[in-house]
Amino acid sequence: MVPNRTFFFFILPSALAMLIFIAIPIVSVAIQSLYVEHEKVLIAVQSCTPFGCTESVGVDDSATAKLRQEQPLGKFNGLGTYADRAHLAVAEVSDILGHNAGFWDAATRIYKLPFYRALVFTLAYALLVTPLAMALGFAIALAVNTVSPLLKGAVIFFSLLPMIVTPLIGSLMVYWMINADGVIGASLQALFNDPNLYLKASAPLTWIVLFAYGVWTNAPFSFIVFYAGLQTVPRDTLESSMVDGANRFERVRFVILPHLAPLATFVALVQLMDNFRVFEPIVGFNSQAHATSLSYSVFSDLNGQFSQLFGSAAATSMLTILGVLILLAPILLRTYREFSNKAAA
Amino acid sequence: MAAIRLDKVTKRWRNFVAVERLSLDIADREFLVLLGPSGCGKTTTMRMIAGLEAVTEGEVWLGDRVVNDLEPKDRDISMVFQSYGLYPNMTVYENIRFPLRVRKVPRELHHEKVMDAARMVELTDLLERRPAQLSGGQRQRVALGRAIVRRPAAFLMDEPLSNLDAKLRVSTRAQIKHLQHTLHITTVYVTHDQIEAMTLADRVVVMNRGLIQQVGTPTDIYDRPANTFVASFIGSPAMNLIDGDIEDGVFRAENIRISGLSRNANGPVTLGFRAEDASIVDAGGEISSEIYSMELLGESTMANFRAGAALVSIKSNKDYRAQIGDVVHAKVPASLCHLFERSTGERIAARDAATP
Amino acid sequence: MTAAESDLPGRRPAALIFATNAFVVLWLVAAAFPFLWTLWGSFKVEGDFFSRQSFFDAIFGAKTYLQTGSHFTLDGYYGAWVVNRLWRASLNTVVVTFCVTVISLTFGTLGGYALARSGRRYAFWLLMAALVFRAMPHITLVSGYLLPFFELNVWGVLPTAIIVLVAINQPFTLWMLHSFFLSIPKDLDESALIDGCTRFQAFRLVVVPVMWPGVVTTGLFSFLLGYNDFAVTSMLLSQDNQTMVPKLASFLGSIEETGKVMYAVAAVVSATAPIFAIVVVFQRQIVSGLTAGAVKG
Repeated sequence: MVPNRTFFFFILPSALAMLIFIAIPIVSVAIQSLYVEHEKVLIAVQSCTPFGCTESVGVDDSATAKLRQEQPLGKFNGLGTYADRAHLAVAEVSDILGHNAGFWDAATRIYKLPFYRALVFTLAYALLVTPLAMALGFAIALAVNTVSPLLKGAVIFFSLLPMIVTPLIGSLMVYWMINADGVIGASLQALFNDPNLYLKASAPLTWIVLFAYGVWTNAPFSFIVFYAGLQTVPRDTLESSMVDGANRFERVRFVILPHLAPLATFVALVQLMDNFRVFEPIVGFNSQAHATSLSYSVFSDLNGQFSQLFGSAAATSMLTILGVLILLAPILLRTYREFSNKAAA
Repeated sequence: MAAIRLDKVTKRWRNFVAVERLSLDIADREFLVLLGPSGCGKTTTMRMIAGLEAVTEGEVWLGDRVVNDLEPKDRDISMVFQSYGLYPNMTVYENIRFPLRVRKVPRELHHEKVMDAARMVELTDLLERRPAQLSGGQRQRVALGRAIVRRPAAFLMDEPLSNLDAKLRVSTRAQIKHLQHTLHITTVYVTHDQIEAMTLADRVVVMNRGLIQQVGTPTDIYDRPANTFVASFIGSPAMNLIDGDIEDGVFRAENIRISGLSRNANGPVTLGFRAEDASIVDAGGEISSEIYSMELLGESTMANFRAGAALVSIKSNKDYRAQIGDVVHAKVPASLCHLFERSTGERIAARDAATP
Repeated sequence: MTAAESDLPGRRPAALIFATNAFVVLWLVAAAFPFLWTLWGSFKVEGDFFSRQSFFDAIFGAKTYLQTGSHFTLDGYYGAWVVNRLWRASLNTVVVTFCVTVISLTFGTLGGYALARSGRRYAFWLLMAALVFRAMPHITLVSGYLLPFFELNVWGVLPTAIIVLVAINQPFTLWMLHSFFLSIPKDLDESALIDGCTRFQAFRLVVVPVMWPGVVTTGLFSFLLGYNDFAVTSMLLSQDNQTMVPKLASFLGSIEETGKVMYAVAAVVSATAPIFAIVVVFQRQIVSGLTAGAVKG
């Protein structure tokens, strides 16, 4: 047992860093989400000519600057930002739900709202890519397990590349191959004899390509972890099943899969978390017109053409964090329960 | 129910020969024990019978067919592993049922067969538990239950009792013997524990370094070991083996002189006798030496002293006491001695042909 | 699946062997091809790399030959490194990744050691908190920094980005190091303590030297996290101070003109080369790092 004081000093640098740069920013973002930028202060300006005076409305720069300086956070908006059109769009959604021509009509109209578009894609990406990548990784692990030991080193090396490469760079490489001018894009056009077949044209195609990219980059992690797990399958249990009469598939189903289940839970958790934050592929594929993610929405708000929309970015961020916590909740609850049982026992 | 035959079976890995030209006939319903130290090839031999190792040379027969190329699941055998090999995510009931399930035995028959097996291994109360919730002995019984549920042609057991504590080992040993007797199934049992071999086997095959040293009933092996290896492996304590010279029927070594032995042997030999065959006498006798150490075992006393270059044990009754350094005399009847070639360790007739 | 099984003759049907080998080969091609293609194409001109007529152009460089007189050209690289000053970005990258790795490891080994040896309840909850922190989107955290950094006038400089990267990656570093420390038997520390060391001395003189492989592995991942980062570096660094990845992204903006695309392609290959080298040299450590977390976590 380490005495509390010693523990405190050991953990201090790390904990301080996390507190200042993770915990506090989240609080700050939460607060930011309750404000919007000050609108420019307008002032009525009278301009008089010998023919008469006219009134017009103009921007009072000095007053605007002064307001911005005094209240840098902006104007308090409460939950207004959350409810506005760029986010939960409460008014628009209730309108659609009230007046619609059936499920698909309502769904398509809700999808047009920017936040929901990002949410749907992000959820689809996280919930599709994670299991597909795990399945592919498992299949590769099973296959590589039977490959000659001489080749294994090379196989693992090439398999690691899609995962280790910078996400932005990886997505750029794939994008250049897949878009209309690239080797795969041009070949597909020739194959299907359709000069209009390209990414920019089609949302479904963009989604499919992004999902494929996601699986490509996520599968190696599952592969490596499952491959290591396969080496620890208890030999006696496996041989028992051989003697008992199980064929190859039954062995995988009754011995190998149950053995790998805890690893699969770990991998699923980590990948679900990471995939929900999908960001770089949207940049690399330049796909925001057809497929955008929650993180990308935050990014584009912060890089806005005319002004940085902190409030809006903050609101989207908080909603994203809420989504992540919902995803994590079952695992955390289960861990808490296990821990209390262990402590009580 | 089948006889098993091994015909010049060899197992080689690159340059290492694990089992060398082993030939063995195992009768139907026999309980055969493969006995030997670690690395002697006994487990490899059994795994070749099971089909978990490929046979480098030779043939393995199960019943009337050669099974070298058959997968384990096609050989109609079942196996009990040293660490049980249970399926951790299944209940005891499902573990026992598993062989029936994967061999597509009709569903209606499953329950009856499982309950039958469970009753024979006394697990009927624990059927809903998982292996992690069971003790070592209980897990062992699940493995046994799973092995018997199918009534295969042969049982193979790989040191099934090694992971149990001493007391449990004794009771489980008895259960295994009883089971085999009830079910009349040919059993091949691998162990390094000679007590298990002696108590369970119909016949024992003693192995060392991939070669059979001796095949025989426990009594044969005990009373007439074929070489020094078998002689020293069987029996507790091990047989006393003394290097010396024999001439004209008289064996001589430091502190020991035995006459009345076979005149067929001459020159350097190794003489063996068991601790319980010799006795301490007040005077005379074949051995005269100083006590090296005494072991009070409760039911007897072991006196150890030097004879030849070896440390010799003699069993005495439990009241016998002496000090380290005391000179003692021991009687070793020639009729109970064994003679072995010094160079090869092979048995020589201990007495003239007339006397058995 | 095991050596024993592959030992047995006729156990694996030929069709299955063929299918699994074909599958592995297919995967290898899928994994490696984009890299090899981009590498090869970076030495061509845009007309070849993005040729609509025939992808053989990209392989043999027909237009490259026409434009430059040789089948290979370094124009893309020149454009990236010299014209767009990628050399500066790469220097920034070196500084940032080195500092991030060293500082991360320092903080992380101290914290990971304490968490592994503590045995108290709060250590467990700290690890859970770190897990939640790890799940936070980086872009969200960045948006929380921007205003304060502007106010404090620390926006745009390397040290800011460095300390942010260290902090954001602490959760991951702590988890990985803590699981490595758990695999070192407590007896080692306890002997040191009995011999008269303070906890810190035991840590520094006895445990860390034994832990060295774990430190190397975690250092690798810290390096990769710093090198690969985009969200933090693109938002917190000024133009001149950008590291390679955000610099690359800024090329993309000006890519519309012909000829400039190849600058980006060359930059991409340049940025990938160190990664390639790292995987070659440290393959075993990377694999051990990935599995250590999984097996113990």
